[in-house]
Amino acid sequence: MAQNLAKPTAEMHPLRFVIERDEADVMRREMGLAAVTDLLPALVPAAQRMARPSISGYHVGACALGASGRIYLGVNVEFPGVPLHHTIHAEQFVVTNAAIHGERAICFLAVSDFPCGHCRQFLQEIRSASQIQILITGGDFSAADKYRPLYYFLPHPFGPSDLLNKDVPLLLEPHRNDLIDEEDEIGGGVEKREICVNGLGIMEEELRAAAVKAAMAAHAPYSGCASGFALAGCDGKVYSGSYIESAAYNPSVGPLQAAVVAYLAAGASGGGGVGEGIVAAVLAEREGAAVSQEATARTLLAAIAPKVRLSVYPLRSSAGTV
Amino acid sequence: MAQNPVKPTAEIYVIESDEAERMRREMNLTAVSDLLPALVPTAQRMARPQISRYHVGAVALGSSGRIYLGVNVEFPGVPLHHSIHAEQFVVTNAALHGERSIQFIAVSDFPCGHCRQFLQEIRSASQIQIQVTGQGEYRPLSYFLPNPFGPSDLLKEDVPLLLESHCNYLIEEGEKEEEICKGLGEMEERLRAAALMAAREAHAPYSGCPSGFALADGKGRVYAGAYMESAAYNPSLGPVQAAIVAYMVAGGSRGGGGEGGVGEGLVAAVLAEKEHAAVSQETTARVLLAAVAPKARFSVYRVRSSTSPW
Repeated sequence: MAQNLAKPTAEMHPLRFVIERDEADVMRREMGLAAVTDLLPALVPAAQRMARPSISGYHVGACALGASGRIYLGVNVEFPGVPLHHTIHAEQFVVTNAAIHGERAICFLAVSDFPCGHCRQFLQEIRSASQIQILITGGDFSAADKYRPLYYFLPHPFGPSDLLNKDVPLLLEPHRNDLIDEEDEIGGGVEKREICVNGLGIMEEELRAAAVKAAMAAHAPYSGCASGFALAGCDGKVYSGSYIESAAYNPSVGPLQAAVVAYLAAGASGGGGVGEGIVAAVLAEREGAAVSQEATARTLLAAIAPKVRLSVYPLRSSAGTV
Repeated sequence: MAQNPVKPTAEIYVIESDEAERMRREMNLTAVSDLLPALVPTAQRMARPQISRYHVGAVALGSSGRIYLGVNVEFPGVPLHHSIHAEQFVVTNAALHGERSIQFIAVSDFPCGHCRQFLQEIRSASQIQIQVTGQGEYRPLSYFLPNPFGPSDLLKEDVPLLLESHCNYLIEEGEKEEEICKGLGEMEERLRAAALMAAREAHAPYSGCPSGFALADGKGRVYAGAYMESAAYNPSLGPVQAAIVAYMVAGGSRGGGGEGGVGEGLVAAVLAEKEHAAVSQETTARVLLAAVAPKARFSVYRVRSSTSPW
């Protein structure tokens, strides 16, 4: 199928999913561009090439500029074998990528295609979402290479302000969910189990701590059911991600998806399946959650890393209320 | 029937075209489409938002002249992507009744982006007229979702779109199992037939994995719904959700006001889908069914593609 043709891009340094501010500035100057915002559309084709659309074959790339000056790349990721609601869109990837790196605001976003309604909705979780500037690199967009505010693409949006009080933190803002790890409660004698793969030892404790930390940072103001997920790669490193909820519910990004974004963005997955190299997985979520991720996470994990056993760590509110 | 034409006392999800016309005349309205906003509060009251308590109602007018009501449905215990939005409900309702096109939709709130996307599956979606109660007149969907991504980005021109006639050539896989008890066997037979028929009508042009789901209540009545895929993938409506809409629309679930569980009264369920489907609904269906109707028996009916209809 014909896809958007890549605009000429300068030869660049090996492309990673995060480009630091000073490096972005070097690239901008090398390409003779006036502003870093002009750099984003130039990077979209390279992002597209890193996409993992294993069902559709349809590659989408996204590139965002954060308030920090850092640039984030995102790609779509599809998961054969499981229902389509597990899919990660490029725009969701790029926002999750930014969140993982502590970015506080996204100001500009370039994408290879018009964002679908699901993504235009997901983006509403960011404060002042309507003012995020969006540029589409492909298609017949009459004002080519021009940024337009998200409000143009989703007028009269439904969003956080329809459901939340003003003082509730939005996506990318610091969250500190009121959660206690049940095992921490029992006492300091948590048995430190080690997982050995190919001679590498990975502390399950490290995974658990990462999943719990991710749960504490999760954006789940609608259900109150924060969750976090941690993956261990065969490189011995831990990759974690937080659940990201949407006011419109369905566009929420599951915690395993967020951890997969961390995994892919770090370049941990090789050229094969998305789950290649994953050796351990941990979910931390509220016990008896009104919105529980466990069964769904098991389903997706079985599809991407069938040999990995999922450990689940229950959390509860420190106030003692459910 | 209802005494007040805009406030039916029972849970009514479909208004036939002659009844709609009668209501229009009684209310001195120019067009039946003017009737839809007046019915939105009625729909809202029937909603089942068991997590958010946020009631959404949607009312649609089909080209047949029939009016359909829709509500949002939430499922505690499972991830939020299982939720059914009111706009998705109303489209599923129309599909169940063989409606070929939807022209007007009135909603209690501005549709979210997920729904504006889901609606793209209908042919000429951009011209569907949308009105939000209290927020002005009808505007085309293209106003709410300009430059949409949709079926035309992925499909050839001749592929049937949502609400159009689908004929997925599916037949059962392998031999039928012997039923142990005749009573169970007969219901299982009807459930399988209904799930297979739904799968044959399912809109799944992106994955090529159509599926259907059938539910049975304690009285042996069967309700079935078909999977509805979205070009944007995530807004797809699962077959279990479609069957739940069928159950609610038929008056099967009478919790009333969000009190009772949506799955109250369900005793058995069958999923019909392709063996080794690239997009398999089985595990997910189990998760949702366990939350909605934990005591219902569940079985999976494997089907496969064939080159001819039967």
